[in-house]
Amino acid sequence: MVSAFEQSLLAIMMAVIMLGMGAALTPQDFKSSLKRPFGLFVGLVSQYGFLPLIGFLLALVLPLSPEVKIGLVIMSCMPGGTTSNIFTYFAKGNLALSMLMTINSTVFGVVLIPLLIVVYAAGLGISIPADNIVRTLIVLLVPVLIGMALRRWNANIGAIVELVGGALGIFFILFLLASWVPRNWQFLMSTPIPVFAAVIGLGLLGFAAGYLFSALLKLHPRNAQTISMEIGIQNGPLAVAIVALSFAGTQQQQIIAVPALYSLFIVINATLLTLWYRRINERSQQKLPDSFL
Amino acid sequence: MTQADPARPWLAFYPAGAKATIDSAPFRTVAELVSASARLYGERTAFTVVMPNGMYGDLSFAEIDRMSDAFAVYLRDVAGLEPGDRVALQAPNSLPVPVVAFGTFKAGCVLVNVNPLYTCEEMGRQFRDAQPKALVIVDMFADKLPEALKICPIPNVIVTRVAEFMPAMVKGVIGLVQRYWDRSIPKVEVPHIRLPDALLAGESQRHSRSIAVESYASALDGTSLAALQYTGGTTGVSKGAMLTHGNIVMNMAQTMAFMEGHVKKGEETVLTAIPTYHILAFTLNLLGFFWLGNRNVLVPNPRPLANLKRAFENYRITWIVGVNTLFNGLMNEFWFAENPPKHLRASFAGGMALHGAVAERWLKMTGTQVIEGYGLTETSPVVTGNPIGKARDGSIGIPVPSTEIILINDEGQQVPAGEAGEIAVRGPQVMAGYWRRDDETAKVMTADGFFRTGDIGTMDPDGYFRIVDRKKDMIVVSGFNVFPNEVEDCLVRLPGVQEAAIIGVPDGAAGEAVKAFIVRIDQTLTEDEIRAHCKTYLTGYKVPKQIEFRTELPKSNVGKILRKDLRAEELASLATRKAA
Repeated sequence: MVSAFEQSLLAIMMAVIMLGMGAALTPQDFKSSLKRPFGLFVGLVSQYGFLPLIGFLLALVLPLSPEVKIGLVIMSCMPGGTTSNIFTYFAKGNLALSMLMTINSTVFGVVLIPLLIVVYAAGLGISIPADNIVRTLIVLLVPVLIGMALRRWNANIGAIVELVGGALGIFFILFLLASWVPRNWQFLMSTPIPVFAAVIGLGLLGFAAGYLFSALLKLHPRNAQTISMEIGIQNGPLAVAIVALSFAGTQQQQIIAVPALYSLFIVINATLLTLWYRRINERSQQKLPDSFL
Repeated sequence: MTQADPARPWLAFYPAGAKATIDSAPFRTVAELVSASARLYGERTAFTVVMPNGMYGDLSFAEIDRMSDAFAVYLRDVAGLEPGDRVALQAPNSLPVPVVAFGTFKAGCVLVNVNPLYTCEEMGRQFRDAQPKALVIVDMFADKLPEALKICPIPNVIVTRVAEFMPAMVKGVIGLVQRYWDRSIPKVEVPHIRLPDALLAGESQRHSRSIAVESYASALDGTSLAALQYTGGTTGVSKGAMLTHGNIVMNMAQTMAFMEGHVKKGEETVLTAIPTYHILAFTLNLLGFFWLGNRNVLVPNPRPLANLKRAFENYRITWIVGVNTLFNGLMNEFWFAENPPKHLRASFAGGMALHGAVAERWLKMTGTQVIEGYGLTETSPVVTGNPIGKARDGSIGIPVPSTEIILINDEGQQVPAGEAGEIAVRGPQVMAGYWRRDDETAKVMTADGFFRTGDIGTMDPDGYFRIVDRKKDMIVVSGFNVFPNEVEDCLVRLPGVQEAAIIGVPDGAAGEAVKAFIVRIDQTLTEDEIRAHCKTYLTGYKVPKQIEFRTELPKSNVGKILRKDLRAEELASLATRKAA
């Protein structure tokens, strides 16, 4: 299903993207968002309020095996995905907000995720160990700090790391999809429909919840788009890593199917959403003369 | 007709330490200025180019001096140019610009700035007029070369790139992105040499024959031609304003003297986001700030404005030279509004009228002033400016040192005090004339050496000038004069209006009627709301009778709203309506 090789590729991918993300951020970005923490607050509420609830409800109403339910709860409690920044970049959204939300939800995840997982798992009558999660989240933040330090030290190196992080991120995504899908074709064909409904639904409902909540609070459309993207795109690779660390044997492979399938479909759906947002944002850009003076 | 001192009441507003006149130019030529600054400021950073993602490259004063020396030798002793030969430069803001421009001056040649966004025809036309012997062009625009050189061949083509002189790694990455991602680098299909190779050739010639670069320009003086700066001018025909070394050096000194005390030697970082092929950034940033040992932060392309974010984050910008569009646009960017630059001392606006509303908002947002200056290509460019701390709303300020201004009527007579007249300027910054266009020169120069600007102005009793409008844009409604600027300024003060242009349209009863073209930010804004807003600030006859909403307004490639295009459209549609 997800081989050890693929798992380490995913881990490297996360580290590289997080490093690039750090290199793209300045302390000013943090200051700017702390001055107006509303966007981050909205993000946090959507991330750890709405999405786990959506995951829980899907697990409750759909006919799923206990393993899939475990996977779904873990998936829905994950922080924002590192790839959401790449999509936000191409959608011409608020890149700084997206990155800060990812980092913010990762930081708060250290406390919130174990809590949420325990509560929702109890609600579904399943058990999920939470101790590996905290350690993994903390490790994930190290590359961000290194990236920020690099940018501060030399803007040229920072910019190159930022660029390479994004490019490698895209390369990893495409490579993993292209190699994983053919090898797991049999598995995809034999997976029951409700599982597809759950993993696709989680992403789509996440997009919708993020957008509607932000729009309701009258955030700028660009920020609402960014938040929706951030909420819909969960950190799939992190979920894979956590499942791999916390479970073993066939159970591990059955659970890991959820983040794997989720990641596959979120890439497809997020690409479509990106194209749509991009069109909107290109139209609303400040019009300036060809070369102005 | 020369004004005596009592007729120069503005002297009272000069900054402490600034003289009323600048008796002699600080340098004989621009070439001398470059070498002198390099001796004084040596290894300090003179120019930094910043890409949208923060990648940057630096050149120090000493490097600029050495590299421009090499380019001068290339021009004279490798390419074989003679003193006075024209060298065209077609590049966005980037490190090659100072190297090539200064090298051209050192070679005793004449710089011709060419807008990189020109079409093949526009390039060809300008080349045919200026007859350059060499062209330095950035590779992105080289696709236009075969066509343009068919119109006018140029013997030496030197190709450079935006990332030139940046660190090798960065240059490589930018090159890859431009070539394979943006696909913005066309194949260069004409014989050419690359700028670094030209510099190497110049450098080796210089060593092997121990050439003294100073000798190239030693025969020049203040009256020698330094640049042909092309302009539509007051009559609309594109022509080259002949700017001498004296014009440029003096105007730089006049303008910097005017900012006396607010530009600290060697301590400023000026944002150069407006193009250096325009005379404003050329004289003020490339030369003025350079002269005083300051750092220029060059931004190759300020569109979209988000491209400026890294420049503001990574450098302590203390000065901005810009235009109304830039200041207004920046304030509409969320990242700028949330973190306005902390170290900003002041800004200088030119090129077009600075809207009062923009200046007020800027002061509120940044806590610093945008001072409006006024000038034209023909005056190298600065004629007047608002002294810092004594800016007057809606005024272009007071004349810079050694500058005389009179207001005249169509017959060339001075108008009575308090009345509006055409602004005429005399001073060391006034061009030598239009290149090979004595007829056009005669139209704008008076017998006693005043240059007629084509702008209608008035003078406050204490010496502040105001532009009431361009001569040809004035609208006459039932015998009352309406100046488009005033109405436009009122319109853009209305939240929901992004831009506005005013023209006069034929109107049976009133002769002409005021018509407004408006670009809305708020799509729900109605004509009635706009008229109601105007009525609170403007006399009845100035309120637009007709209002048309547009998604954008026609602009020149330097960003001025083209009222004449709107007028032409309007007249054409009237004619078709009549015919129908």
